Amino acid sequence: MKRKPVAPPAPNERELTGPRYWRSLDELADTPGFREHVEREFPEGASTLEGVDRRQFFKLMAASFALGGLGLAGCRRPESYILPYSKSVEGLVPGLPLYFATAFPLRKTALPLLAETHQGRPTKLEGNPSYQPYGGASSLMAQASVLELYDPDRATTHTKNGSALDAAGLNDLLASVGKKHAADGGAGLAFLAAESSSPTRARLVARLRQKFPKAIWSEYEPVQDEPPLEAALTAFGAPVRPVYRFFNAKRIVSLDCDFLAAEAGNLLYSREFARLRRVRSKSDEMNRLYVAESGFTLTGSMADHRLRLASSHIFALAAALAARITGDQSYAKYAQGLEVDPKWLDACAADLLAHKSESLVVAGAHQPAAVHILAYAINDALGNIGETLDFLIIKPPPVASIGDLAAAIKAGTVKTLLVLDGNPAYNAPADLDFPALLKSVPEVIRYGYYVDETSQLAGAHIAAAHYLESWGDARTINGTVLPIQPMILPLFGGVTEIEVLARIAGEEAVDPYALVFATVTQLAGEPDAQAAFAKFLHDGFLHDSDFEKIPVELDRVRAERLFAAMSAPVALSKGNLEVRFAADYKVDDGRFINNGWLQECPDPITRLTWDNAILISPRLAKELGVDPPSLVVKVARRELADFQKGRENAFVGEVTIGARTVRGPLQIQPGLSNYTIVLPLGYGRADGAVGRVGTGSGFNAYAVRTVEAPHFVTGATLTVVAGARALLANTQEHWSMEGRDLIREANLEEYRQHPDFVRAIGLEAHSPPIYGEEGAKLSPAERATEGPAVRGNSLYVTPTFKGPQQWGMSIDLNVCTGCNACVVACQAENNIPIVGKDQVSRGREMHWIRIDRYYSSGSTDNNDIPEDPQASVQPLPCMQCELAPCEMVCPVNATVHDDDGLNAMAYNRCIGTRYCANNCPYKVRRFNYFDWNKRSIGHFYEGPLGPDGMPELVKMAKNPDVTVRMRGVMEKCTYCVQRIEAAKIQHKVKAAQAGNPADIIVPDGAIRTACQQACPVEAIIFGDILDPNTAVSKLKAQERDYGLLAYLNTRPRTTYLGKIRNPNPAMPDYAALPLSRVELRNKMGPAEEGEGNREPTTSGDHAALPSAAKLGGLS
Amino acid sequence: MAHLEEALAEKPAILNEIAPADLPRVPLVANNRSFAWITEKVCGIAEGRTPVWWWWCFGVACFVASFTVCGLIYLVSTGVGVWGHRSPINWGWPIVNFVFWIGIGHAGTLISAILCLLRQKWRTSINRAAEAMTIFAVVCAGIFPVFHVGRVWYAWFLFPLPNSNWIWPQFRSPLEWDVFAVSTYGTVSVLFWYTGMIPDLATLRDRAKVKWRQIFYGVLAMGWRNSSRHWSNYEMAYLILAGIATPLVLSVHTIVSFDFAVSLIPGWHTTIFPPYFVAGAIFSGFGMVLTLMLPLRAVYKLEDLITQYHIDCMCKITLATGSMVGYAYMMEFFIAWYGANPNEGFTFINRAFGPYAWAYWIMISCNVITPQLFWFKKVRHNIPLVWILSLFVNVGMWFERFVIICTSLTRDFLPSSWGYISPTITDIFTFFGTFGVFSVLFLLFIRFLPIMPMAELKAVTPQADPHAGHGEHH
Repeated sequence: MKRKPVAPPAPNERELTGPRYWRSLDELADTPGFREHVEREFPEGASTLEGVDRRQFFKLMAASFALGGLGLAGCRRPESYILPYSKSVEGLVPGLPLYFATAFPLRKTALPLLAETHQGRPTKLEGNPSYQPYGGASSLMAQASVLELYDPDRATTHTKNGSALDAAGLNDLLASVGKKHAADGGAGLAFLAAESSSPTRARLVARLRQKFPKAIWSEYEPVQDEPPLEAALTAFGAPVRPVYRFFNAKRIVSLDCDFLAAEAGNLLYSREFARLRRVRSKSDEMNRLYVAESGFTLTGSMADHRLRLASSHIFALAAALAARITGDQSYAKYAQGLEVDPKWLDACAADLLAHKSESLVVAGAHQPAAVHILAYAINDALGNIGETLDFLIIKPPPVASIGDLAAAIKAGTVKTLLVLDGNPAYNAPADLDFPALLKSVPEVIRYGYYVDETSQLAGAHIAAAHYLESWGDARTINGTVLPIQPMILPLFGGVTEIEVLARIAGEEAVDPYALVFATVTQLAGEPDAQAAFAKFLHDGFLHDSDFEKIPVELDRVRAERLFAAMSAPVALSKGNLEVRFAADYKVDDGRFINNGWLQECPDPITRLTWDNAILISPRLAKELGVDPPSLVVKVARRELADFQKGRENAFVGEVTIGARTVRGPLQIQPGLSNYTIVLPLGYGRADGAVGRVGTGSGFNAYAVRTVEAPHFVTGATLTVVAGARALLANTQEHWSMEGRDLIREANLEEYRQHPDFVRAIGLEAHSPPIYGEEGAKLSPAERATEGPAVRGNSLYVTPTFKGPQQWGMSIDLNVCTGCNACVVACQAENNIPIVGKDQVSRGREMHWIRIDRYYSSGSTDNNDIPEDPQASVQPLPCMQCELAPCEMVCPVNATVHDDDGLNAMAYNRCIGTRYCANNCPYKVRRFNYFDWNKRSIGHFYEGPLGPDGMPELVKMAKNPDVTVRMRGVMEKCTYCVQRIEAAKIQHKVKAAQAGNPADIIVPDGAIRTACQQACPVEAIIFGDILDPNTAVSKLKAQERDYGLLAYLNTRPRTTYLGKIRNPNPAMPDYAALPLSRVELRNKMGPAEEGEGNREPTTSGDHAALPSAAKLGGLS
Repeated sequence: MAHLEEALAEKPAILNEIAPADLPRVPLVANNRSFAWITEKVCGIAEGRTPVWWWWCFGVACFVASFTVCGLIYLVSTGVGVWGHRSPINWGWPIVNFVFWIGIGHAGTLISAILCLLRQKWRTSINRAAEAMTIFAVVCAGIFPVFHVGRVWYAWFLFPLPNSNWIWPQFRSPLEWDVFAVSTYGTVSVLFWYTGMIPDLATLRDRAKVKWRQIFYGVLAMGWRNSSRHWSNYEMAYLILAGIATPLVLSVHTIVSFDFAVSLIPGWHTTIFPPYFVAGAIFSGFGMVLTLMLPLRAVYKLEDLITQYHIDCMCKITLATGSMVGYAYMMEFFIAWYGANPNEGFTFINRAFGPYAWAYWIMISCNVITPQLFWFKKVRHNIPLVWILSLFVNVGMWFERFVIICTSLTRDFLPSSWGYISPTITDIFTFFGTFGVFSVLFLLFIRFLPIMPMAELKAVTPQADPHAGHGEHH
């Protein structure tokens, strides 16, 4: 998709500017007065007009135009203006998107991206496939970040003391900071910045240090996503970053480490983890994941053995494991008081020892350094270092902490404080009382994307540019340098952080492009700087710029000091709870709170949208008396929450830690350590300090966080607020599969005995073969095109699929982590609207692909809420059924099949009977109950009397290749038909140019659906099922391939690969059958498995499998 | 003739011996009323001064009907979201209401057509009002499927109109069948109703003293002159229409039931639906006829025309169809168990004991238990009680549709999508308002049109019998 690099001849000045004309003698003379006049669009003071801000002005103007239009619109065409390119963008073909490499920076890492731009406006971000380690994957947040660019609530002006500042004024302000502190070496100057991986910023910070040696440079991130540097410094005496190499790790132990979703580098880790998870044949190896954790994370949900353990007990667990692995019994003393079945530890340790140099023990970033050192020691003993664990030298410059800065402010030495990004007034530890500190600093300058709590306390606010408007650079977890390229001019004149720093430092070059150019060409060290830089921008990364790998040696003596400082595990109870502060899976530390796509994306574990909740274990809920009411007769498993009229009506609780209290809705979360409560961070923003989307969402867990215990703390209490209830928008009310055959699972041993286990599970195992006796023997390709004879002799005339290519999809349930990247990628690609909390709570969310999450406990007691469940996830796009139940019931023929086997939707024809959605057994059709695109969230019920919805700015984020649907029509996944068609056209053009117009077969892999493209673990594969050599055909030929609810004879084109678990038979919590299968057996009887259409060659001896009655539950 | 009479007058001797009990046929018009009395009585309702209660009822009915109007204006201007639908339950109250009203619309044509063909003469005193009820119920029913669509302004896509894109409706869709079934049914019902009314309209025309009445009824009577030829043509036309309408009575609700039976949702996908729906529709239709006729009978003192015998007959039909419906409920459970499809089995257990158990048990008590009281003569003869029971039947039948539609949709195949639907105030008001629409139309009907077929009533009086006065001797 990308263009080949063409080093353009450097344009001369005349070419750049065209013939030069001047409007006045002032311009010719270029006087400062004239410059100011040009900079200002309006006369001085115009934009600060009392009482009327910009937005209101436009509203008034729009209203008067509309009124004017009422009388006159009939007489003439509406006036509109186009701005043609006087010089076209290189390579631009009108109507076709252009792709540019850029990167999404987040804390100390970044993701390489390709940005899709339409006529100069970025609409969709995709992973950069050229960067091998990430392989074109992208994350949920990266996918959603394009919406932030068009956020109408972002800071749109630079301000000083409440009045607007133009570009020149801003430059003066920044220059004055530098000048003011130049004399005293920066003694009164302090910076509080967010973490960054940018080499240019590092270079500029070094320059600042040179110039202002006494200035304080502090960095603060509320969320820790990297192992603490202290651990590396103590253990090895070197500033190194551990990077895990999961693709070699056959046995993995996670000590409270959510490496699949929350740790820096999680995208890389997910991809590599999936490599040994992806089982394609009986002989394939599969990794085994042990997880000990307090909360329930995505990593925990993938575990083969999961131990619920308080975060504060993890150190003891690590010590116990270290003692067993290293044989050094001196570790055992730190494990005293640990209440874990020794058999668990013994079996786990034995398994690790059996896989020396191909195992890996990882500790959560939030865990203290001592735990990390224990993990390093274990890995060292197992010979993993250098095999599955690399240490990269990162040479970080010295950085002060926010605590140091606070002390300096208290001491009164800080005269000028620059807060660069972050939002300390909101998320700094509560005991620092940062808002008060900010007020005490004489001059606070804030650089930020939003006018938030911190900006409100600052004298000046500098509007930041979005990364898609900026020149910059960043590094991946491996250290590879990535370019950040602007796709568009700053929409509101925002500036980049490096420009701000350069101006303060008084650099000669302040242009961000020049700054990045200088950094990168220096790093590249190539003789031809221009060419090197062009290649860097084209490839989207700098070759051979990784951090250096170094050998390390563990220093036991220094480590011992840290160990000794750790306290023994404290017994937890209802009166002494542990609180775990965790970054939210969607809004992170709160930085994405105003992003509607993320807010409306269901939390992968709790399935909540638009809010956070105090997560409590089922046992704690019972002790507090907040478990949901129990019906007299239960026909299904008891709900996790009190659903009233289909909306979650949550109890409200108050968490008290020391003298601080926070109040929020309670949510029961199976799988939590009994007395650990989880407080997701990032919500509960002050009114007026956040945009419209983030207003009123959740509670602020930062209010109870201290410097001492930023990640977890014990000694908390939780009280239930009597009588109070809160509405939560939960997208999945029911948590149990109810013993149905939806996600088909087996353990690895069973899979090896019966690779076709999926076919022996469920109703198709008993129903007549869906494709008839004949059809059962055919390949998917033949089934798709053969006539009705192989179609079970259905009475209905079945579609004949005449297209040369037949589209299908395969989803591997074994590697899907449920990260939600596909959900938001689909939202961005297909212009899917958001509907707001109220409408989500009414069950009207619009996602075309959703991820169902089920818990299984192995029990069928309807009164039981599992404390220790197994989780399974299932992404659900449209199945594109060959015999689509939705099509035959649509009275107006609005949903029909096309020749390529797509279940297409003609929006123009749809009148909205919603019969199709009723008859869809997968419930993947979504209805536009209101004009989501035209009306504002929260005003849907006001109809035409309500305010108009989407600001012009947000419309710019829409994909021009996809219709924006109006109210009253049904919509659904189309396998990204716009991408299919674009690829077909492109291929036809190419083939015709190559003199081969008959070639109309788009090669495999040329079309990637948005969900497939985003998926970091490549769980979703799309392609042509007619060709047996495509990736999708090969997967569909797998014995693990099954269709969801296929006994309905829907013949879904999207099929699943069954899930395989790999438990260790030596473990005390070993279950010989996945718990969902135990439930299936209990409910349907053992006859549900083993007979039916299974091929005779493999029809198995199921007596070998223990019966449900013999299976022990988990501990 | 005299000879014959004499011969017949001679009783066989055996009769004196065994002395058979005298079992006279129950007269269909009581108290030996004359033709003139019947004309006066029926025409008097349309011709007399408008009663005060009528104005009050009309005012209230208009007010209630405005709820529907306002509800629909709000709906169309704002979006279907103003109703309580949500993702798994895309049909909620509107379709419940549609099936409810269309079911009510069944009794009228059944009474007029099937009972006509079966020569059940007791139908005469109630058929006109029942047919009117049918038409008005179809009007109310028609509102919902039309307005429940997302883009009502494109509802004409449902009709097979030629267009340049050559797009036709989907003829495999039960909703498309509905379009034809309901519109045919509505058309035939109107024709049938109107045809039956022509002789009576002529009577009203002839009796009219005011100009506008003469014109109004004159136009409607279509030049009826009471000639033998007219009567001959009329009776043949009526018979043919009865023949056409009879299969429609069965087909409409069969097709409405296909909306559900043809889908694959557990709880919908059952072959029992067509007969079960037809029985239910007749059940609810008779419930509604009783609900309407009993007050009408009391207000206009029509006891001689709508006799206890009529009420007994209607109660018995209610009992029979109610029992059929009860049988169908049992059969659904049996088949769900016998079919051994776990999804199907769950749906029925969920219906009876799940979150909507309350609705299910309302349905069972109203539809299965209530009509069983009609086994007792004392109950059938207690008019206020019959009226109250008929209300229960109406409530029960609404809940039947609610249970079928909502419990099946709320918990189908994938537990992840399970939900719960509850109505919004707009749902409730729009439905409530249709009772106003119905009442407005019905009040206009009783005010301006002959509410009973006078000509046919006269034909079933004792006087009309050429053997009048001799019957008791035979």
